[in-house]
Amino acid sequence: MDLPIFGQNLLAGVAIGGVYALVALGIVLIYRATNVVNFAQGEFSMLGAYALFALTSGLKLNYFVAFLLSLALMAVLGLLFELGVYYPLRNRTFLPVVIATIGASIMFQNGALAIFGSSPEKLRPVIQAGTHGGITLGGVFFDYQYVVILIVTGLLVVIQYFFFEHTLLGKKMQATSQDKDMARLLGIPVATMIAITFIYSTLLGGLSGMLVGPIFFVTHRMGGMLGMKAFAATIIGGFGDVRGAIIGGLSLGIVEALGAGYISPIYKDAFAFLVLISFLLVRPQGIFGEKVSEKA
Amino acid sequence: MRRGMGLFLALIMVVLVGCSSSTPAPATSSAGKDPAANTKPIKLGLIIPATGASVEAGRFQKQGAELAVEEINKAGGVNGRPIKLVIEDDQSTNPGAVAALQKLLEDKEIPMIVSSIRSTQIQAMLPTINEAKIPVAIGGTNYGLTHSNSQWVFRFRPHDGMSAKVMVKFVVEELKKTKIAVVHNTDAFGNGGRDMVIEALKPYNLKIVSDQGFNTDEKDFTGVISALKQSGADAMVSYIANSPDLGILAKQMKQQNLNITWVGSPSITGQDGIKLAGDSLNGTYGIADYNADSSPKAKAYQTAYKAKYNNEEPDHYSAWSYDAVTIFAEVMKKNPDLKADALRTALLAIKGFQGAEGEYTFDKNGDGLDHYNIVQNNNNTFKLAKTLHVPRD
Repeated sequence: MDLPIFGQNLLAGVAIGGVYALVALGIVLIYRATNVVNFAQGEFSMLGAYALFALTSGLKLNYFVAFLLSLALMAVLGLLFELGVYYPLRNRTFLPVVIATIGASIMFQNGALAIFGSSPEKLRPVIQAGTHGGITLGGVFFDYQYVVILIVTGLLVVIQYFFFEHTLLGKKMQATSQDKDMARLLGIPVATMIAITFIYSTLLGGLSGMLVGPIFFVTHRMGGMLGMKAFAATIIGGFGDVRGAIIGGLSLGIVEALGAGYISPIYKDAFAFLVLISFLLVRPQGIFGEKVSEKA
Repeated sequence: MRRGMGLFLALIMVVLVGCSSSTPAPATSSAGKDPAANTKPIKLGLIIPATGASVEAGRFQKQGAELAVEEINKAGGVNGRPIKLVIEDDQSTNPGAVAALQKLLEDKEIPMIVSSIRSTQIQAMLPTINEAKIPVAIGGTNYGLTHSNSQWVFRFRPHDGMSAKVMVKFVVEELKKTKIAVVHNTDAFGNGGRDMVIEALKPYNLKIVSDQGFNTDEKDFTGVISALKQSGADAMVSYIANSPDLGILAKQMKQQNLNITWVGSPSITGQDGIKLAGDSLNGTYGIADYNADSSPKAKAYQTAYKAKYNNEEPDHYSAWSYDAVTIFAEVMKKNPDLKADALRTALLAIKGFQGAEGEYTFDKNGDGLDHYNIVQNNNNTFKLAKTLHVPRD
């Protein structure tokens, strides 16, 4: 086996898996708070990338200022999304809300198409250095942007874990997700908790878009594939656990990359969905399962 | 009561519309021996994507057609009658294209239609075109469109069978490469292109050394690149329509240090690909049916286009519709009664007509062109390397 080629394929899998994990984190969060799968999560990535693009290329702002501003915009969007899509349907079953998120996702895609057009755009990477944006070590090329993505994903997982398990706010949010009525009786402001969850996961989505934009390029369709793969990663990892998102994302990415590199690139997506289907058949609750087992 | 009212109003409208459309007719005929009829505008149908994913392409297509109309009308129109475009939106979809076509066909004063550049839309429209029996210009390059027994489609661009032959001829004869790989999207366009490359290599007794397909919207090409490295290919021919795919592939090839001769389908010279790939496409070859340096007429078209549209560079999206309108006007001049059969015969008789894209000679299938220009990316400007003609079939 040619070692550099294996290394390159493995790295590609880990890197793209990190991207899936980042988007999957947002899906897990919202699911934990509301029991709803948010199918617009991929679109948050797309909107975050476009926000950053508009601020840097359109308004010519400093990259890091634009980065923070885009995050702020995403926070506002998250609140609006919660008020417009989730809040009016909060007392219904989960299905109307899921449908509403699909509707929102279609609206976001077409909105972006109407505003930015169908021509794909290029986004600046976080680190602008090296030939071709990275460095070659031992015959394997490391794209700096992928390195940044992996570091950010790792940090976020740690922060998120700490937040949910060791802070009062995190515990309140967990309580809200496990039993809204009980949480309400205990004096937890349920509506506020849910709003915070939506804001945070929209931020996460936007952040992932800003980070993958330089690699994937920014198009109105970029969120669809991301959302789909992240959803698959969530199923593999398990809906109830943030660790599930990262393990699911990484394993999906690695299976895809090695399958494409050593078997056939044409069936790359098929390998991913084969893993997904196997999990649905053998272990539908995912690797980590749900935190509260009696939840449907 | 309400229903009665509605019916009544509808009746009034029918009467009004009937009157307004029937009044001019006697007026023109009563004007006696022709002068009034002679200056009545000729309507020419134009189908463009004005909404949806392909609006950019639609804008170019419309600008090319409008430039041709302006030039024709300035030069006295078609025997004194000015041309007037009737534009319908295909919404960038197949059903939209068929609906737009049907709408234009309902207007019996439209003798000819310039339709889509998208092969899939033309495929959807073909049955309707065959029934309507009026000449329709197409810009889609799928081989089958002019080879499925339709008498009424006329192609103003070279077809995909020619692109494969031209690319292979260039790689093998001019660049002297023998280990050729194909990289392509796994859609109708990409798989079709791969098959035709394999076919075009046969006369040289060559086989492809690697066939690398990938799904549209692929985000990581490490697998493709490592396979290419291991295959020992010294040149690759690509059929990639989606510009983000092209951009990511080009960038990752440079990152992972794969430097082989690359000749690509037209998107490799498109503005989107260049924008995304940055300098990664430097040195690659691409094929283009329109190139400003390929002929004096192409140059003149560029000058006129830039003058009319804020210095924007023209490309094949506008050049083919410009040529279609120009040639349609030409055959209408020879057949002032605008009978479909006569117009068709006149189109088939077009020989050596110099257009912006190249020299048009229509064969029995309705294909007007048989050339491609090979251009090389030189720091993101394109230098004409060669114009190659290939035998038709």
